[in-house]
Amino acid sequence: MTKVPSLGVRAVTKSYVVQNIRTEALRDVSLTLHPGELSLISGPSGCGKSTLLSLMSGLSRPDRGHVHALGVDLGALDDAARDAFRLAQCGFVFQGFNLFPALDALEQVQIVLDYQGVSQALAARSAREALELVGLGQRRHLRPAELSGGEKQRVAIARAIVKHPRLLFADEPTSALDSVNGAIVTALLREIAHRSGAIVVCVSHDPRLIARADRVLEMEDGRLHRDSRDHSSSNMMGTSR
Amino acid sequence: MAVALARKTLIHEWRRFLPAIMSVGFSGVLIIVQGALLLGIVGTNALSVTQSRADLWVGFPGTQSADLGRSIDIGVSSELLVDSRVARVEPLLLGSGDWRGPRGGGISVTLIGIETRRDALGLARAVLPAERALLDEPATALVDDGDLDKLATEIGGTAEINGRRVRVVGTTSGMRAMGGVNVVVSLATARAIDRSLAASDNVTYYLASLHSSQAAKAVRARFSRPETRSRFEIWTAADLAGRSVRYWLLESGAGVGFIFATAVALLVGTLITSQTLMAAVAASTPQYATLRAIGVPFPKLRRIVVEQAGWVGAIGLALGLAGSLLAAVLARLNGIPFALGPGIMALSGALVLAVALLAGLLALRRLRHADPAALLR
Ligand SMILES: Nc1ncnc2c1ncn2[C@@H]1O[C@H](COP(=O)(O)OP(=O)(O)OP(=O)(O)O)[C@@H](O)[C@H]1O
Ligand SMILES: [Mg+2]
Repeated sequence: MTKVPSLGVRAVTKSYVVQNIRTEALRDVSLTLHPGELSLISGPSGCGKSTLLSLMSGLSRPDRGHVHALGVDLGALDDAARDAFRLAQCGFVFQGFNLFPALDALEQVQIVLDYQGVSQALAARSAREALELVGLGQRRHLRPAELSGGEKQRVAIARAIVKHPRLLFADEPTSALDSVNGAIVTALLREIAHRSGAIVVCVSHDPRLIARADRVLEMEDGRLHRDSRDHSSSNMMGTSR
Repeated sequence: MAVALARKTLIHEWRRFLPAIMSVGFSGVLIIVQGALLLGIVGTNALSVTQSRADLWVGFPGTQSADLGRSIDIGVSSELLVDSRVARVEPLLLGSGDWRGPRGGGISVTLIGIETRRDALGLARAVLPAERALLDEPATALVDDGDLDKLATEIGGTAEINGRRVRVVGTTSGMRAMGGVNVVVSLATARAIDRSLAASDNVTYYLASLHSSQAAKAVRARFSRPETRSRFEIWTAADLAGRSVRYWLLESGAGVGFIFATAVALLVGTLITSQTLMAAVAASTPQYATLRAIGVPFPKLRRIVVEQAGWVGAIGLALGLAGSLLAAVLARLNGIPFALGPGIMALSGALVLAVALLAGLLALRRLRHADPAALLR
């Protein structure tokens, strides 16, 4: 393992059996992701991208192989310990936003810190800052039903980053958005990676997002197929392997 | 303040929770109204006790219910008066008769013979002093205003009881019984109408008032010794009323009926409430999965569901109590015996909250579908 805390996947295999039919979602995948980089996973539908993301974030366990996140072997943790790990370290952005309909934007963000046991005053202040960072400081009292798709995804990003996670996972974050909003969300994810030094992993088909990534991992049929790095990016951190 | 996700979701999606709240409320109304009606009806067997102001009642040993009193010796009165805590003792007679109105037809009635002094204890709550004074005239009777129709009579009307002519000189209030009809007369008239009471040396009950009601238990203890127990038994008014209600609940089978109907109300309430809560949990599955992804442990998700069930129970119960109070008002306006006491309200409150919480626990099973990995697809 490297000195810099990183996210390492070693010879990971994962398959699903449904009605006696076995699907190999991941076959012997290995990779290492670095802090301060926006890494992008792309590939055809059904090639295992989301499965890889859920293994790397500790939402599920590999059949074989190991996932080391920030020096912790996620496969060795029990459910409660993985919950605690995610609560402390991971942020998520989903394709479908998954906001809470009953809460306004500020509460969506604040509730994460509530569950972390952060004091009320600090939680409210941090939530406001996170919303300002995504440009929604003025719209913090609106509920999801009153926000546009792009705004909803930005609230979801604020919710993911409010706890300053060291791992940020996004699954198709722009696919439900138009090009302008897609570009805003892309820029935000890139900025978060570069500014906070978090490991940002994003699954996407979106060419705009692919073009802005520091590193692109292409998958096919459960395997890592190509790993390319954008050398024109101004990223200074974590580019060495 | 921490973000109250459970409560805010409940308010935001109140339409989703409404069926559960209503079913809890209806279960509550059903149990309370049934119970209050039953206690009211059964309680009419103890009207002679509950409508009087005596602290202590003295009657035949082993009497199971106030309406089943048998004669005791007239000498008991002076025995009681020996105790300086006893302020006054007066007799009350219970008899029976066959009422025939001008249009014929026999109705069996219960005769209650009371003292006619202005400040008498017997039926002090149901008979106004002015009406009581009218009973001094022989062969007069009071009937309940709720029974005038049933007896096909009116104030000033006449009828025959056991072949003796009586004149209805006024009405009582709150003496309407479910089974028979209560006819209130003076002690002398009662003895004239019911031959079994004719011998003036025995009475059905002695009513005693004390200088201080607090002494009731102590006085009762003094007259409950073995040497007196063979001739008479003494109860506080609450004792005798409670004993009558319990006796009739068991004797009539109405108590069992109530337990059965309550069980059905609870079962239906639990089913509807749990179905509704399950649907609400299922509809929020992505939200729960999101919380799981964020790293919120499973027990905290359970707490959300249980908290919502608790709110559903509390709001439903409030509605149920409001509905029951309305029923009580309607019952009073219609002269229907309806005993809405704190006991029945506390009982149904506890049952209904238990229903809501049980339904919440059943709904927890749906949380298993909240798989955070399913959010990544
Ligand atoms: N929970 C599951 N049960 C059964 N099979 C699954 C499950 N999750 C994924 N799979 C299968 O694993 C394979 C990879 O799925 P995955 O969701 O990782 O694909 P993906 O690359 O994210 O596709 P897309 O771009 O369409 O989202 C697919 O063939 C899918 O059918
Ligand atoms: Mg996918």
